Amino acid sequence: MKEKDENIENLFGKLKNGQPFRVPEGYFETFAERLQARIEEEEQPHKKRSLFFYLKPALSMAASIALVMLLVYLPIKKFFPANQSYVTQQKSTIDSIDKISVLPVPDELFSYFSEGQFVSAVADMKTIDSETLSPDSLGDYIAANYSDFDIIANN
Amino acid sequence: MDSSEKELIANLKSAKYREKAFQLLVKTYQERLYWHIRKIVMNHDDTDDILQNVYIKVWKNVDGFREDSTLFTWLFRIATNESLSFLQKQRRHAVLSMNEVSDYLTDSLESDVYFDGDEIQKKLQLAIIQLPEKQRIVFNMKYFDEIKYEEMSEILKTSVGALKASFHFAVKKIEEYLDEDHK
Repeated sequence: MKEKDENIENLFGKLKNGQPFRVPEGYFETFAERLQARIEEEEQPHKKRSLFFYLKPALSMAASIALVMLLVYLPIKKFFPANQSYVTQQKSTIDSIDKISVLPVPDELFSYFSEGQFVSAVADMKTIDSETLSPDSLGDYIAANYSDFDIIANN
Repeated sequence: MDSSEKELIANLKSAKYREKAFQLLVKTYQERLYWHIRKIVMNHDDTDDILQNVYIKVWKNVDGFREDSTLFTWLFRIATNESLSFLQKQRRHAVLSMNEVSDYLTDSLESDVYFDGDEIQKKLQLAIIQLPEKQRIVFNMKYFDEIKYEEMSEILKTSVGALKASFHFAVKKIEEYLDEDHK
């Protein structure tokens, strides 16, 4: 029992006298400096951010898209000025048909042509300027492009 | 409280001398506080973080220091609370029980490159780690730091009788741990 107490006493003594922990070299010498740096960092006021800061990503993206569109559109317009896209062509055809449909058409035309002939004739007139289209010119066009046989066969 | 401490406190509260007084405060207590914290959390890196936090709290709250205790008592109280809060955070993050906290500390000790102890010293540290937090702090403060019970009572806000009992139980448990280890 006495021997056990002495052993433990020795161990306690070793624990008390021998410090098993150490610190990195120069730790206490530089501690105050590092602490001061951290305090200064914490005391720096947080800058108030403007609305532009929050909109900046969206604006950048919009500007990039606009730039890409411009870079694609300008060369196409420069090198292929007459080459309209399919959509533009379709739109101009529809516009022409709309304009034609409101023109006065002589009643006697319908006695010579079926409705199918008339519509196909109008669809063929894609390049005809609707402003210059008159009832007489429409009649001339059909007479020039369709024979009597075609007209009789379709009726 | 002696006159030099009174002067230091007055300077800490004055805008003109605050920075210099704070540097003096850091230099005076940094080592004692460091070793107090280190014995609670074991690992050097954690100790460094906690010690910085302690001084930042002091810097921010020195105007509110009521002077009803010494600077030493006040600093040790903040350091103890910060260390215990740190261990509580570890417990919450890892959902650790009390036993697992001692496992965490054991791992910290074993992985700490700044622990130079031999096998016997390591066993003694492991024996202390097994103690409940409060007993461990009382044991360290009494045994290593040789802080008087009256002063300890102010720091830990615990009665002298309870502290004596804690120390007694701590010594018994360490003896039992070492005794089992020697069998």
